[in-house]
Amino acid sequence: MQTGPAGNDEPAPLHPTSDGPAAASAPPGSIEATSPYSLGAIPTVPAPPPAAPSPRSPRGAPPTPGVLPPVVTERPVAEAPRPVTRPPLPGMAVELHDVAVTFGSVQAIQGISLSVPHGSILGIIGPSGAGKTTTIRVLTGAVHPDSGDVRVLGDDPRYFHRATREKIGYMPQLFVLYPELTAHENANVVGALFGMLWRRRHRRVREVLQLVELWDSRDRRASRLSGGMQRRLELACAMVHDPQLLILDEPTAGIDPILRQSVWQELRRLRDDGRTLLVTTQNVGEAEYCDVVALISEGRLIALAPPDELRRQALGGDVLEVETAEPFDIRRFGQVAGVREVRVRAARDLLFVADDAGAATPLIIEAVEQTGNEVTASREYRPSFDEVFALLVGRHRAEVGAVSADE
Amino acid sequence: MNFLFVVAKSLTRVLSQAHKELLQVTRRPAAFASLILGPFLLMALFGAGFTGVRSPLSTVLVIPPELALPRETQFYQDLAGPALKVTAVSERADEALTMLSERQLDLVVIAPADATRAVREGRHAEITVAFNEVDPALDTYARVIAYNLSQAVNREILTRAVEEGETYALKRLDTEDLTEIPPEVIAAPTTAVTVNQSPVSPSIVHFFAPAILALILQHMAVTMSALSLVRERLSGTMELFRVSPATALELLTGKYIGFAIISTVLAVAIVLLVVYGLGTPMLGPPLALAGILALVVFASLGLGLLISVIADSERQAVQLALLVLLASVFFSGIVLPVQDFRDVVRILAYVLPVTHGITLLQDLMLRGEIGQLWQIAVLAVEGVALFLVTTLLLRRQLRRSVRG
Repeated sequence: MQTGPAGNDEPAPLHPTSDGPAAASAPPGSIEATSPYSLGAIPTVPAPPPAAPSPRSPRGAPPTPGVLPPVVTERPVAEAPRPVTRPPLPGMAVELHDVAVTFGSVQAIQGISLSVPHGSILGIIGPSGAGKTTTIRVLTGAVHPDSGDVRVLGDDPRYFHRATREKIGYMPQLFVLYPELTAHENANVVGALFGMLWRRRHRRVREVLQLVELWDSRDRRASRLSGGMQRRLELACAMVHDPQLLILDEPTAGIDPILRQSVWQELRRLRDDGRTLLVTTQNVGEAEYCDVVALISEGRLIALAPPDELRRQALGGDVLEVETAEPFDIRRFGQVAGVREVRVRAARDLLFVADDAGAATPLIIEAVEQTGNEVTASREYRPSFDEVFALLVGRHRAEVGAVSADE
Repeated sequence: MNFLFVVAKSLTRVLSQAHKELLQVTRRPAAFASLILGPFLLMALFGAGFTGVRSPLSTVLVIPPELALPRETQFYQDLAGPALKVTAVSERADEALTMLSERQLDLVVIAPADATRAVREGRHAEITVAFNEVDPALDTYARVIAYNLSQAVNREILTRAVEEGETYALKRLDTEDLTEIPPEVIAAPTTAVTVNQSPVSPSIVHFFAPAILALILQHMAVTMSALSLVRERLSGTMELFRVSPATALELLTGKYIGFAIISTVLAVAIVLLVVYGLGTPMLGPPLALAGILALVVFASLGLGLLISVIADSERQAVQLALLVLLASVFFSGIVLPVQDFRDVVRILAYVLPVTHGITLLQDLMLRGEIGQLWQIAVLAVEGVALFLVTTLLLRRQLRRSVRG
């Protein structure tokens, strides 16, 4: 996993794909100007260097960069001839290129393009009915796109190889396990379904049930588990065969905050172990746990970036929160290099939107003091993801509304 | 080694499905009770409750005053046998017919007033038998009973005529020394002696027991399997199947095995009840019995799983399973002989596994042989065909795009 400049475990900055529209043409101050992941763009993330094969999972190693996996040509299906698709990009676990799905007259998703490198967590966030589950189902092969190209672990999901299927763990949004079977039996059945032989299955079922804190309830029938326990059981079942790619549709829905933390801890541990995770959630705050967040609204991908970058996109840049000793008179505040905007939250509470908060902070403090006021506190302003989400979706809707009005 | 690994994985998938089906059935006590206790209770009720004997028809005999025949009820009761209950002997036909129209009686038999004269004149003397019945089966039954009774009364009239020295009829028989022949022999020169060549003469219960066994097995297998896939589709488990490496063939094979195990347990229990509980003869080899039951179950499971694949809801699956049961009752030969149907309908009858099951089981258990070998072939071919069709349909469903 490539790390960010701070040396933490955040992923490297993302870059647009070459076939996306040029972001440079966007006006300054807009999302387009501050982020390469513009509306309608086809963003992607660069391939990280090959992760070392995990000692816990020898088959979890991503493909070697630079070596294109073979194009799938076997297993023709009687219903339709296999379409010619572009070869998968090296290092990418998941790729979507301009994917659209229509259900009757409803455009469920349109123009979705993204790539997810091996060993990262992509959070798919959006309001209810935005197209998150449809996107997930396109990736599992349950929904066939009307147009566009999809690659999951190098395969077109419509024609998954059996070996590829064995590497995918899937947790649907609803409880789909067997209510008459116990938690242990359900995990056992799913493990067997994915071809796990008895000895390994026996060990893994225990591990995953312990992980989701269901081991003590292993003999309880699934129908008698609470909603949260059922979600945990599904999560356990999705992980039981130690998949390389985990596709989780709202895995933390109905789970209490403490357990949610431990679930995310485990998901990040899996990521660190070289697994790739695609997670949808309506809990916007969970975006913080993802390496990359795809924000979907009304079937369109309106943002794709790491969490901090999403904040920048929402606010227009870095935001510095400044508290002053006296009420601040904005009319006396002159131009400061690198500062785009000043927002007054309260009489002594200001927000400065800057290209680079680090460089702008001393200049801002100096400018404030030149007005005869005094800075009592300054800190980076980190809006909650609820706020970021609302800003981005609101902006998208306004833009869509404006386009519709123009037409 | 790699091949063995692949086979082992495939086997794991198949057996996990079989195990899951077993667990699911045993974990639903109500369904389990209706599947296992239900057939037992039906069989027990059938054996204990069915007498096979129709209740006697309530009958009044009308003997006109001028006719020299006995007036004692018992006399005619002895003539009629147990099928009739002679409640009275009357001289007034109108009264008896009124009672019949008011459905107080089942049958009124009116002897001819001019019997002697009719015979003397070389005519038939007509015995009128009146009944009031809309049920065609009972209608036929009443006619047979009435015919037998009229024969008995006829014979009695003739016997008495001979005894009284009335020789008109005798002269016409062109026989020399008729006077030495007893009048009852002249009145009824022949009697029928029946010989049944079948190895056993089963009672009604024993005759129907193999048919009920086949019907219960088919119904149980169809109902149980019909709900299987449709439930998984509705609950969303199919979505998991789509992602998993399990193939339609593996999933279905697992289900077949699971349901076959349950069916085997039930079949053994019902056979024990039929043979040892109801005392039904079992003249054929047990292995042949097991083979026939296995084929009936195999074909029935195919029918049930086909329903499961095509049904949109559990309700529709249950309705289709009940339609199969209804068709089985009508066309399988359990009620009406298959041969009595037109060719087109007979084809439908032969599509039902139970039709073959009934014939084969009755032949095997009651005759000790398999008379219709082609029916075994039909069952096997039908079972394989249903398995293949269901597999293909499920495969298509697993690959088809979900809409909406």
